[in-house]
Amino acid sequence: MAKIILDKLLERFTGAEILETGSQHGNEWARVAPAAWLQVAGFLLRDPALQMSMFTDLTCVDRLPREPRFDVVVHLYSVEQKHRVRLLAGLPATDPAIASLVSLWPGANWFEREAFDMYGVRFEGHPDLRRILMYPEFQGYPLRKDYPKEKRQPLLRRLPGSV
Amino acid sequence: MAESTPTQDLVTVVIDGKEHKLPKGTNLLEACRSVGADVPYFCYHKGLSSPAVCRQCLVDVKGSPKPVPSCYTSVADKMEVTTNSPKILDVRRQMLEFTLLNHPIDCPICDKAGECSLQKHYFDWDSKLARNEGIKVRKAKVVDVGKHIVLDQERCILCTRCIRVCDEVAKAPELTMADRGSHQILTTAPGHRLDNPYSLNTVDVCPVGALTAKDFRFSRRVWELSASPSVCPGCATGCNIEVHVARGEIHRLVPRENPDVNKFWMCDEGRFEYKAVHNNRLLLAQIGGKRAPLDRAVAEAARVLREALAADAKADRKKVGVVFSAGATNEDTHALARLALDGLKFERAYAAGRAFGWSDTILVSADKNPNTVGVQRIVPPPVRTERDLLSDVASGAVDTLLVLSNERLEVEFGKLRALVVLASHRGPLVDAASVALPIATWAESDGTFTNRDGRVQRIHAALGTRGDVMPAWRALALLGSKLSINLAYASAAEVFSDAAARHDFMKDVVFGPPAVPVELRFGGSRG
Amino acid sequence: MAAEITSEPGSKRRVVFGEADVSDFDESAEVPVESMPLRMGPSHPAMHGTIRMALEVDGEKIRTCDIEIGYLHRCFEKEAEAATWTQIFPYTDRLNYVSPMLNNVGYALAVEKLLDIDQKIPERAQYIRVIVGEVSRIADHLTCLGASAMELGAFTVFFYLIKAREWLWELLEEISGARLTHSYVRIGGVVGDIPEGWAAKLLSTLGKVREAIGDADKLLTRNKIFRDRMDGVGIIAKNDAAGWGLTGPVARSTGLDYDVRKDHPYLVYDRFDFDVPVGSTGDNFDRYAVRLEEIRQSMRILEQALARIPDGQILIDDVRVALPAKRETYNSIEAMIAHFKMIMDGLHVPPGEIYSFTEGGNGELGFYIVSDGTGRPWKCRVRPPCFANLAILNKVLPGLFIADVVPTFGMINMIGGECDR
Repeated sequence: MAKIILDKLLERFTGAEILETGSQHGNEWARVAPAAWLQVAGFLLRDPALQMSMFTDLTCVDRLPREPRFDVVVHLYSVEQKHRVRLLAGLPATDPAIASLVSLWPGANWFEREAFDMYGVRFEGHPDLRRILMYPEFQGYPLRKDYPKEKRQPLLRRLPGSV
Repeated sequence: MAESTPTQDLVTVVIDGKEHKLPKGTNLLEACRSVGADVPYFCYHKGLSSPAVCRQCLVDVKGSPKPVPSCYTSVADKMEVTTNSPKILDVRRQMLEFTLLNHPIDCPICDKAGECSLQKHYFDWDSKLARNEGIKVRKAKVVDVGKHIVLDQERCILCTRCIRVCDEVAKAPELTMADRGSHQILTTAPGHRLDNPYSLNTVDVCPVGALTAKDFRFSRRVWELSASPSVCPGCATGCNIEVHVARGEIHRLVPRENPDVNKFWMCDEGRFEYKAVHNNRLLLAQIGGKRAPLDRAVAEAARVLREALAADAKADRKKVGVVFSAGATNEDTHALARLALDGLKFERAYAAGRAFGWSDTILVSADKNPNTVGVQRIVPPPVRTERDLLSDVASGAVDTLLVLSNERLEVEFGKLRALVVLASHRGPLVDAASVALPIATWAESDGTFTNRDGRVQRIHAALGTRGDVMPAWRALALLGSKLSINLAYASAAEVFSDAAARHDFMKDVVFGPPAVPVELRFGGSRG
Repeated sequence: MAAEITSEPGSKRRVVFGEADVSDFDESAEVPVESMPLRMGPSHPAMHGTIRMALEVDGEKIRTCDIEIGYLHRCFEKEAEAATWTQIFPYTDRLNYVSPMLNNVGYALAVEKLLDIDQKIPERAQYIRVIVGEVSRIADHLTCLGASAMELGAFTVFFYLIKAREWLWELLEEISGARLTHSYVRIGGVVGDIPEGWAAKLLSTLGKVREAIGDADKLLTRNKIFRDRMDGVGIIAKNDAAGWGLTGPVARSTGLDYDVRKDHPYLVYDRFDFDVPVGSTGDNFDRYAVRLEEIRQSMRILEQALARIPDGQILIDDVRVALPAKRETYNSIEAMIAHFKMIMDGLHVPPGEIYSFTEGGNGELGFYIVSDGTGRPWKCRVRPPCFANLAILNKVLPGLFIADVVPTFGMINMIGGECDR
């Protein structure tokens, strides 16, 4: 984890894009405005001092009852520089959507599909945004805090002609 | 929280390095907790006097040579308080060590486990293990101190909360401390037993499992319970309560704080109101004493009432009556009034309920019905009494009745040509009924009760319904639909809005959404 | 052998077999090709841990590939949100279930960092964690190599490697009580000490394992059939590795030199002398070779760790983090209360977030944990290495033959429990 990442982010972007930064337990993190998501991520990838080419993880945190409710969290790493950063972006409870990072890191594809599947966050620009872990007829977004663990799902529809 | 109206005297107090403005005379312990300094305590209780015996709330106040008990101190201007210095943390640990020195290792069998203050404070503030070799002072363990309570003298941490409850709240000084030092025990005063009508409040305030209720003892572990807020249906005082439910069964009722109605307390009788919810319930509709499908029963009830009204109209007489219940919610009462009085134009309205009983100046009302005032305000006069009802049936002045609840009503059933009953419990009334429709009790209902002071209080359903049981307003809506009277309420909130629109006393009340039961296992941690 | 086929009257072509003059035969115009949908899985002997591949094939060649996962999704995260911190250990066992110790260790390290006790874990416990972790890693690689070899027809190799794995599992059973779902690690240390004689047994077993993989090496590495099936098949370019989030043996086979144990050492890995094998081509054979060599390197670590393990405690002494000893619990109220609250409430982890990463069997195993200060996590996310590793197959498989799917998929070592959680 390195402070240089936060320093360069604060240098390159304004307070409207990088809302907050911090360091906790050896993890550096930066809270990004959702509108600047792609821009900030692209900077981290391309800047020669940062080179964050390794896409480690993308997930979502449901902070109910806080508004903005959802936090999209991405972890990036640089194999060359050996430093890491966490980016967070807060999304509202109704119709949460954010830019997709697939154009920058192809590995983001499946991670974004999982975040969509589990939390219902849409990733704009994603080539194939559909459920990945759940079956297509599943209703609801299971990892949301208001989805009860014991909830039952409707049985799958039968295909015509099957018994 | 800390700010208040400009007319109050504010003093500046520094707590843990931060300045706060607080009203003069605020209790220091309450002040610290209100700004996030989580000072632990055992013997202090907001509704009782403060003796400062447990010494768990000690904090450092600048200028004082020794730590002061914050529960016994009021805030003063320019006071500087430290609650989290290494010294105070150590003092806290030392006090806990003293308290735990002779405490028996009873957690696996103690009812309080899971909601025990001693467990909570030890785990939050201390992690040192015992220094004595396990040799503890032995005292009496299963002492029958009263009608409802068992005392375990070893577990008692000598906080004296129970003594103060009996002295100050129940005005019956039945408990006292005896002996001294590490042999000090809680016991009943000579010649007394702990059997005042508020004795079970001592079990609520006891921070540990020294005083346990015979009724709840060993019946359920606390973390299996979920709590729902409600109001006691035992009398017209309307003490606010919590209903503790596990696996679809109520295990106990405990008081909920309301500074205007019951403060922190409730009477013992009210606590046993939950027993009736599970015994002898009517779960399925009946026609003439035999089980019937719900829709047939509703159709039959409609037919019976229609016939009776037609017979009345033909003979130009008024022999159909409706009996309201002083134990039903405002919503059920309103729905019945809309159906029977506005819709079907019954001319005889009666109100019946539980018989009056004893009362005192502390909490208990003589009127043992939770909603007498509500019925009085919703049902337009004239409303006849139960005695009138008995004599009217006997004399033949009324021969068809639509009855809500009132399951122990004893009229001469033989004289009635038809009896439609909406009841929650079985009994002679249901057996004699032409049609009986099962309805929900207070514990399964969302609604409101009006207490003796006209205060409208919300009750929340703590349980789901079984069988064909439904809230009375919904049963009445079904009945109405068969009688061409539109009472299409979709929820209790809608019934409430309808009632509030017509009755001033409900106008300013907020109904609110249904309460989600809080699991008690998260009470200590998730809150 | 040339054969003349007389065509029907009115037909257009005369096809002559065996002749070289079919160069003007326009395949796509004459024989219109429709790709055939071929679905492999989820019940398929070679689809380890249930995967469904929706393939469109053109003859034997794969045109497009869409991998469907989720058949083994058991709601790890949702269950973790309802369980106390210690109750999550059995769930972590079932993530990468061929190397469960590594998952246990990864999760414990994450929570310990949030508790700020990661520097206070007793040294002996750290050595034990390294030892059982490396044994688990060897078992993972043995399973992968054995199963893949079997799928290519090398049954003997499978038996040799599975027998070796069996010796290791016997040792792990002795130390933890279970062959596979150990739940051996706790927050603050490990749950039981190394039994007497176990270290000596492990050393002698390592010798036997070394022989077994030596045999497998001799049977496979220069075996023409094996090399023909694996060389140049399933090539992943080094430049792709980081963008796709590849880690572990799959990434190292492409030439990307990244191993968490070396680059960001945790526990006591920085005290050991070991190498990290890195491939060059990124094909199936490189992945096989990297894993084979990693087994040998893990054995090096084990020998050094067993020689240097210090005496001492195996669990931290704080009753707010680790359960007190039973002797204390039954004889003092303080330990009884601590035991009670630890089990019922869960230990209280201060509010915060952390991303903690270790080298799992398949690569960077990350735990992103969010705590709200109570005894249960607010969120406990697993960053599964083989989730990212598997995703690239949608790009790698098109262009390969159906027969290549089996070794390529096998060498990715997708473990269903980890990918789907």
